[in-house]
Amino acid sequence: MSLRIAGMGWVTPLGRGIDKVWDRLLRGDEAPVQPISDSVSDKAYSALRVPADALKDLPPHPRLRRASAISGFAAAAGIDALAEARSTIGEIDAERMALVFAVSNGGVVYTKRFYHNVVESGAQSASPLLFPETVFNAPASHLAAILGITGASYTLVGDGAVGVLAIEMASHLLDNEALDFCLVVATEEADWLLCDAYHKWRLLKSEPPIEPFHRPPRGMILSEGAGAVLLARQGAVEIDAIDLGGNFCRRRDANALVRRILHSLADEQACIVGSANGTFIDLAERNAIERELPSALVYSAKPALGESVGASALWQVITGVQALRTRRLPPLLHSDPETGLRFSTPGELSFKKVIILSCGLNQQVAGLRLSI
Amino acid sequence: MARFNDLDGKTAPTRVAVVAAGVISPLGFGLDETLAALRANQDCISPVTRFDVEKCRCKTAGQISDDLLSGRRNGRKTERLHRATRMITAVFEELFGQDPGFKPELTVIGTTSGGMSFGEDYYRALHRHRGLRHSPGWIANYPPQKPVIDAQDAFGISAPCQIIANACASGTNAIGHAFECVRSGKCKRVLTGGYDALSELVFIGFDSLQAATPEKCRPFDRDRSGMVLGEGAALFALENLESARARGARVLGEIIGYGISTDNHHLTQPDPSGSGPRRAMEQALQSAGSSADEIDYINAHGTATTFNDAAEGKAIAELFGGVPISSTKSMMGHSLGAAGAIEAAVCLLALQAQFLPPNINFRNPDHDLDLNIVPNESREAKIDIALSNSFGFGGTNASILIQKLAA
Repeated sequence: MSLRIAGMGWVTPLGRGIDKVWDRLLRGDEAPVQPISDSVSDKAYSALRVPADALKDLPPHPRLRRASAISGFAAAAGIDALAEARSTIGEIDAERMALVFAVSNGGVVYTKRFYHNVVESGAQSASPLLFPETVFNAPASHLAAILGITGASYTLVGDGAVGVLAIEMASHLLDNEALDFCLVVATEEADWLLCDAYHKWRLLKSEPPIEPFHRPPRGMILSEGAGAVLLARQGAVEIDAIDLGGNFCRRRDANALVRRILHSLADEQACIVGSANGTFIDLAERNAIERELPSALVYSAKPALGESVGASALWQVITGVQALRTRRLPPLLHSDPETGLRFSTPGELSFKKVIILSCGLNQQVAGLRLSI
Repeated sequence: MARFNDLDGKTAPTRVAVVAAGVISPLGFGLDETLAALRANQDCISPVTRFDVEKCRCKTAGQISDDLLSGRRNGRKTERLHRATRMITAVFEELFGQDPGFKPELTVIGTTSGGMSFGEDYYRALHRHRGLRHSPGWIANYPPQKPVIDAQDAFGISAPCQIIANACASGTNAIGHAFECVRSGKCKRVLTGGYDALSELVFIGFDSLQAATPEKCRPFDRDRSGMVLGEGAALFALENLESARARGARVLGEIIGYGISTDNHHLTQPDPSGSGPRRAMEQALQSAGSSADEIDYINAHGTATTFNDAAEGKAIAELFGGVPISSTKSMMGHSLGAAGAIEAAVCLLALQAQFLPPNINFRNPDHDLDLNIVPNESREAKIDIALSNSFGFGGTNASILIQKLAA
């Protein structure tokens, strides 16, 4: 079966809308950081946030009235992906569409608020309104209700690679001829608590920029938003290979795993959209690329968009599709020129495939290949 | 709805065997203890000991003693690992003890909350401005994929992990998706199931919704007043039947059908018409090529909440008439992401031992529900096919069909 991309949408710290964000990436823009603080501590962090006006034209829906930001991001990205698809293929029957969500940290804002009330004032102060929104599949439920999807809906949880795992699951669902479409949505919201956790895990950088491929790694900055791709059997860009990869229990083992995935996806006509984010991931990707595909152009959007964890792999896929559609790659920001890798530069390019390498911070690695 | 390898298609469906299974729940550790507890109609609900529930309405849960988790092969880093990891590792021990040669290509596991209690520890320590020495370990072991990956690592497995978090339907969704992966020919061997460990946040959450009861859990009873939470894990080794037979693997049963639907009525309440559960059950039947009158036992979702049991009961009554049903949550509580997997293990045991597991604490029939409940005591019965239901927040509904393999 041919697995193709029929529509896309994304909500990012550089704004909303495929072409708008893509143009900004091509210009070399990077999203501004915003301070993020919490009453539980004096310590402040920086994060890349979705601009306040990004969701202003999101159609009102009762399900979104009390929902957390993560559900709003997902709804906007999903609706945009369907709108883009409708412009080329016409009406889409929700009864013939499945939904697969990818998240990592999920609704952390409400989860923290719910538990804070419990810790601060006891169980009797727990909010029955907040609790349902803490459940991982709440954003998927809201989007299914908005779009009228009554069939299969799955929420997958994982690390940065979870978006690739979600696309693979969607490809499997589309083997079923009763379905014409599968909407894959990946979403995440930023919160002080996550910044603090990644800081204590020694993966966070206090100030920008994110500097991919530096030795030693200097850390990443968290961001938020959502990406959505509508998968179908028609569309200009095809997902022609998916490698579900595996897991690493020690960081040094990530090197071999990333290399094995790149080996399985390697193509001389491909460029690479990687997941380099200023952490140990970069070394694993760099080693793999140097050994398996040293002449490939390499790009990572994370210096511009930040590390959105659960949403990141879908942002990579959207970046890859845009690269194939426009035959251009944005400039890789703040990279180390001494690495020996071929980094993307402005100008028209001739590649016909894009390899998405997705190495997560918490043990999962996967990849896929796009072609046009 | 047409499914993979549909029976009216040209290709004969690949049959999906359960070649090994493991379970840990308040009923006990392992299939044998679980079977004994089911046959003995044990009420395994007890006062909550893991955290303070003084200010909660509900003060009981189905809990697994830490004694069951200690002294077993728990990998290399036992003390740092979350209880969920130790549960899964214990279940791996049972499963791989039955079939050491089982090498999964993919792992599909359901959960709702992963290592949630580590997140609670972390937040409490932050709130008190102290004790963050352990925080990197808490953070690293909090994500839902981590217990599975660590347990796999302890057994030398590195299969990619798809972790499904479809609320209380997660475990059944995981088994269903794994079943479809094998049935479609995409994989020969998939490890699947579900897990969840009791956590304060989730316990208080259900208490705040008044979905949890201070009374006994009485599914489908006229006087039902809500659920009692539980915890546990159950895993299954699924394999293409032909391949299993070729390598001489023991076959415990066969998964034959799966259905999934989404009910958009409300984030936490089912459509009172029961249409969502009904579509999931109908799909499972269609996927199996079975008719409703071939079903011998239904392990219901049966949370004992007013709304769930009414909607599920209506759908079951309409579709299945007088098929015997029970909710074994009455015995062990609702283990959320693990529930569907543990209840699949219950069905497997019912098929193997040819008995109907009981719906305990049942006193008064609900006359609005025309159901054939198995009240309070297990009993012998001829069972060839069992249906297991799981429904969850977000309107997710999942049903699987399990069949006794003919000799």
